[in-house]
Amino acid sequence: MIKLTNVSKSFQTKNGVVEAVKNVNIHVKAGEIHGVIGYSGAGKSTLIRCVNLLENPSEGNVYIDGEETTHLPLKDLRHTRQNIGMIFQGFNLLKTATVYDNIMIPLRLSGLRKSEAEKRVRKYIEIVGLAGREDSYPSQLSGGQKQRVAIARALSQEPSVLLSDEATSALDPETTDSILDLLLKINEELGITILLITHEMNVVQKICDHVYVMEDGEIIEQGPTIDLFTKPENPTTQMFLNTISQRKISDELLAELTDAGTVIRLTFVGSATGEPLLASITEKFSARPNILSANIIELKNGIVGNIVVHLDGNRSKNTDVLQYLQQEGVLVEELSHIQ
Amino acid sequence: MKEFLSEFNSKWAPVIGEAIIETFQMTFISLFFSIIIGVSLGVLLVLTRPNFLFSNKIVYFILNIFVNIVRSIPFIILLFFILPFTKSIAGTVIGVKGVIVPLVVYTSPYIARLIETALLEVDQGVVEAYTAMGIKRRSIIWNVLLREARPSIILGLTIATVSLIGATAMAGLVGAGGLGDLAYRYGHIQYEVDVMYATVIILIVLVQGIQMIGNFFAARLKRDS
Ligand SMILES: Nc1ncnc2c1ncn2[C@@H]1O[C@H](COP(=O)(O)OP(=O)(O)O)[C@@H](O)[C@H]1O
Ligand SMILES: [Mg+2]
Repeated sequence: MIKLTNVSKSFQTKNGVVEAVKNVNIHVKAGEIHGVIGYSGAGKSTLIRCVNLLENPSEGNVYIDGEETTHLPLKDLRHTRQNIGMIFQGFNLLKTATVYDNIMIPLRLSGLRKSEAEKRVRKYIEIVGLAGREDSYPSQLSGGQKQRVAIARALSQEPSVLLSDEATSALDPETTDSILDLLLKINEELGITILLITHEMNVVQKICDHVYVMEDGEIIEQGPTIDLFTKPENPTTQMFLNTISQRKISDELLAELTDAGTVIRLTFVGSATGEPLLASITEKFSARPNILSANIIELKNGIVGNIVVHLDGNRSKNTDVLQYLQQEGVLVEELSHIQ
Repeated sequence: MKEFLSEFNSKWAPVIGEAIIETFQMTFISLFFSIIIGVSLGVLLVLTRPNFLFSNKIVYFILNIFVNIVRSIPFIILLFFILPFTKSIAGTVIGVKGVIVPLVVYTSPYIARLIETALLEVDQGVVEAYTAMGIKRRSIIWNVLLREARPSIILGLTIATVSLIGATAMAGLVGAGGLGDLAYRYGHIQYEVDVMYATVIILIVLVQGIQMIGNFFAARLKRDS
C-alpha cells in the first residue's frame, strides 16, 4: 500500500524556487498497479522519489503499508526502504559485476545469510527469465535483459511495493511489451503493489488499474484507466490518448463533413462491438452511417472501442439517432469544427 | 664490448645497485603513505560534494583549496618550504628518511585528485539504486563507488607512481641518493656519460614495467565482458 497525502516538493535553485511537486494525493491499494503519466519535466521523477524518500517532501505525508515514513530516523528508514523496490530507466547495475553478483551483493549487504541469499538469487533469476545468464556482465546483455536483472535485484529483497521510474522508456516497443508482461506477472503472482511513472500511454493502457495525469507538478486528472480512456476531460489527457489512437479530425475535414450532416464519436466500453447498433439505426431511422474511423483499445481491465461516424441527412432526424444511441449505453460525442 | 661491460660492471654495479635500492625505498615507502592519505582525501572530496552521500559544503571547500594549494607548488620548492614540518615528523631532514615526508606531501594531493576523477566517473544512478535498497552509506562507498572505480583507480595510482619516481630524482638535494642523484652527480658533474646512460635505461625499464603492471591489473579488474 502506498499513500501520499498533500505531498509537495520544492527546490531552491539559483534562479529561485522550483515547485516540482504541488499538493499531490495518491493512494495505491495493496495489489494494484497505478501509473503517473506526464511530459518530461512534469515532476514525475521527483514525485516517485518522494515515495522512498530519496527526496524529502517539503510538505505532506507518505505512508507505506500504513506506516508514516517522512519522520523516520535513518536507521528505520533504511529498513522501510528494503520493503520498497525500485527500478529505473537506466537500469543502474554494477558494470563490474555479473548478473549473479548484481543480485547477490545487495542481498549480502542487507545482512542476509549466504545460503539464504543464494537461494533468492536463483529464485528471482528464474522468475525474470534469465536462467543461464548468471555469469554474464551487463555489457553483454540487451536493454531488456538488463532491466530484468534490475527487476530481479529489486524483487530479491522481497518488497511489498515496487516503484518504476520510466523503466521501459529506453527500450524498443517489443521489449517494452515483454517487460510490461513481466511486471503484470509479478503483480499477479507475487501480489506486489506497483506505482510507475511514464510518458508513454501504452504503458498505462497495458498494465495500470488507475492513472494520474501530471502537469507542472500537479495531478490534473485522475481515475480508473477505463474512465480516462473513455471520458478524458483535460486537454493534456486527450493529447496523451491521441498518441495511441488518432482521435482528432482536422478542422477542414470536419467543416466539410458537417456541411452535409453530423459527425459523432461513439465510445463503447466492454465487449460490445457497435456493429449491430449501427445496423439498427439504419433500420429504425433509415440513417446512413458512414464509418470514418474505428479502433479498439485493449486495457488491462476492459476494452474500449471508438467509432467516428458521419450521418448525412437533416439535423432533427440525427438528434433522434443520437438519443437512441445514448439510451443503448453508448457514449456519444458530437464533433463540430471551430467556427 | 664484453670487456667494456665487465669493466663497467665491476666499477659501477655497486653504486648503481645502491642507487636502485634507494629509489625503490623512497618510492615504495612514500607510495604506501601517499595512497593511504591520498585515497582517503579523494574519497572525502567526492563524498562531501553537493548532492553526494555526505555532502558538506565547508569540508569540501577546505579540502579542495588545500589540495589545490599543495598541488601548485613544484616539488623542489616544497622540499625546502616544509623543512620544519619534515623535521617535526621524521626527526631529520636529510637522507631517505628526510625525503619521505616531502614526497608524501607532494604525492597525496595528486593521488587525491586522481581518485576523485575515478570516483566521479561512477554512475550515480547505481549509488541511488543502492540507497533506495536501504543499504548503508559505508557499504555503498566500498561496494559501489570504490568497486566500480577500481580499474581507473589502478591506472591513476600507476600515473602517481611514475610521477613519484620523477620526484625522487630530486631527492639527491637532501642527500637521499637514488638513481636521479646518481645521474646528476656522475653523469652531469663528473661527466661519466656511461653512468648517465645506464641510469636512464634503468629508469625507462622501471617506468615501463610499472605501467605494464598497472595496465594489466586495470584490464583484469575491468573484466566487464
Ligand atoms: N534536485 C533538483 N534541484 C532543482 N530542481 C530540480 C531537482 N530535481 C528536479 N528539479 C526540477 O523539477 C522539475 C521536475 O523534474 P522531474 O521530477 O525530473 O520531472 P520528470 O521526471 O517528470 O521529467 C524540473 O523542472 C526539474 O528541473
Ligand atoms: Mg523523470
